[in-house]
Amino acid sequence: MVFTSFEFIIFFLSLSIFYFSISIKYRWKLLLIYSLFFYGLIKPIFILILLFISIIIYLGSILFEKINYEKYKFYSFIIILLITIAPLLFFKYFNLINQYILTFFERPPSKNILSNSWLILPIGISYYTFMAVGYITDVYNEKIKAEKNLFMVMLFISFFPLVMSGPIERAEKMFDQFRNNLFFDHKKVIYGFQMILWGMFLKLVLADNLSLFLNPIFENINYSSGKTILLAISLYPFQIYGDLGGYSLLAIGFSSILGVHIRINFKRPFFSTSMSNFWRRWHISLISWITDYIYTPITFFLRKNGLFGIILSLLLTFLIAGLWHDATIPFVIWGLIQGIVLSFEAITKSSRLKIFNKNSLNNNIFFKVCCSIFVYFIFSFSLIFGGPFESLNECLFVIEKIFFNNDSFSYNKTELLKLIILILIVLFLEFKQEYYPEKLKLFRNKNILIRWISYLSIILFIVLLGVFSNDNFIYFQF
Amino acid sequence: MIKKNVILILTDIFKEIFNNEDIVLDIKMTAKDIDNWDSLTHMLLIAKIEEKFSIKFKLKELSNLDNVGNLVEIINEKI
Repeated sequence: MVFTSFEFIIFFLSLSIFYFSISIKYRWKLLLIYSLFFYGLIKPIFILILLFISIIIYLGSILFEKINYEKYKFYSFIIILLITIAPLLFFKYFNLINQYILTFFERPPSKNILSNSWLILPIGISYYTFMAVGYITDVYNEKIKAEKNLFMVMLFISFFPLVMSGPIERAEKMFDQFRNNLFFDHKKVIYGFQMILWGMFLKLVLADNLSLFLNPIFENINYSSGKTILLAISLYPFQIYGDLGGYSLLAIGFSSILGVHIRINFKRPFFSTSMSNFWRRWHISLISWITDYIYTPITFFLRKNGLFGIILSLLLTFLIAGLWHDATIPFVIWGLIQGIVLSFEAITKSSRLKIFNKNSLNNNIFFKVCCSIFVYFIFSFSLIFGGPFESLNECLFVIEKIFFNNDSFSYNKTELLKLIILILIVLFLEFKQEYYPEKLKLFRNKNILIRWISYLSIILFIVLLGVFSNDNFIYFQF
Repeated sequence: MIKKNVILILTDIFKEIFNNEDIVLDIKMTAKDIDNWDSLTHMLLIAKIEEKFSIKFKLKELSNLDNVGNLVEIINEKI
């Protein structure tokens, strides 16, 4: 049941009516029941994974507070951590490792130990596992106290707006909100609807129209010209942005209506002036999680090695990020490209800043836009490896075609024009927010007429151009 | 070593790491107040502090750092 489906609207409406008609102290319990039901609809047995992780981190966090001896505490942390991530590792990598073993011993695939239905990756398992890991690490580090109510921990792990694809939230923020913030606040409700509206636009209009245009090209690279593939790769970041960015806004919007504030996940990423700046604006909740729980421990361990330690940490972190997306060579290359670009930026940072300051480039909008375009194309290029192509051979074939195939463009011109107009609308609105936030306000305009014209225009776009047949989100697969 | 001396030594370290002679440290300052204090420079800063004060941080201590004041407190506990 995805957020853009009719079934979800019924689900959310029934919850809201029930939710706001009962006492505030019971609301989090209702949220838990609805969340487990929501996740169970995907496959009832998957609820067991949620329950398993919740119980493990609940018991683990209480255990950390009881142990006084530092060494035992550390060992118990490592054990709890491994048990917590075991389901993720199993579902994500068992099939792959098993295939390698079978290939190695030259046994046919029919000899698979477990049936394939066991090996389907439960939707969202990465996201709630990351939230669970964040929670136990924070308790171990004494940043937060262990939650004493098992059902509250369960709700944190299973909260339905976040369970399928994030944003990856932190326990310290969520427990407090579940206890104290679940009241009706018309400002939060309006904000929620605004986020849902813009999220629907990004997903149903931008991402899904791009998907209809780009997927046939990506699926038939043999018959597409080099120029057509180049065009498709150049547009692909907007499809992912619309897809995951739209999904995140929907999650934020539905949560806000229920009274729960969720952090933003994207902050105008296509206006980043460097790759490091890009990663502070793109999939923010994941990157900040990776920074806190993967990059920081690695770089702490390597801190005596100065800049070399930082560079090695960056490379290792993005290698892990690549392997998390998929344990394939293309994703390893994708991670390395990101790591190398970020390392280059780290090494040249102070000299670049000196040049920028000397030539007063820091506040030059034209210069910033040029940097953003450059960053955009680096990101697009990296997506040849971290995107729609499955094997290294396909990725190399695509690069070869882009550089050496001179066939002319082959695409539907009207469709492309429509997509470019949609992209320009998004870019225009974000350019205004980025550089002139106080001018031409639409959703937040004090004038009710302008606000409603904005809402209705977006609704009109969704009704006229929205693609309602696609019920898939790119990031569910991770 | 008293707190004031710690702040003075820290200021020199900050000036060196962030390449900025104008930095004047205050215990309420956070990473947001100092240009370039990000996840890349943070560990260079930590390593330099460990070297200058001959101390060793625990990862746990670093995850709870909120501002310069916290940093001074942890250093004071260790020297």
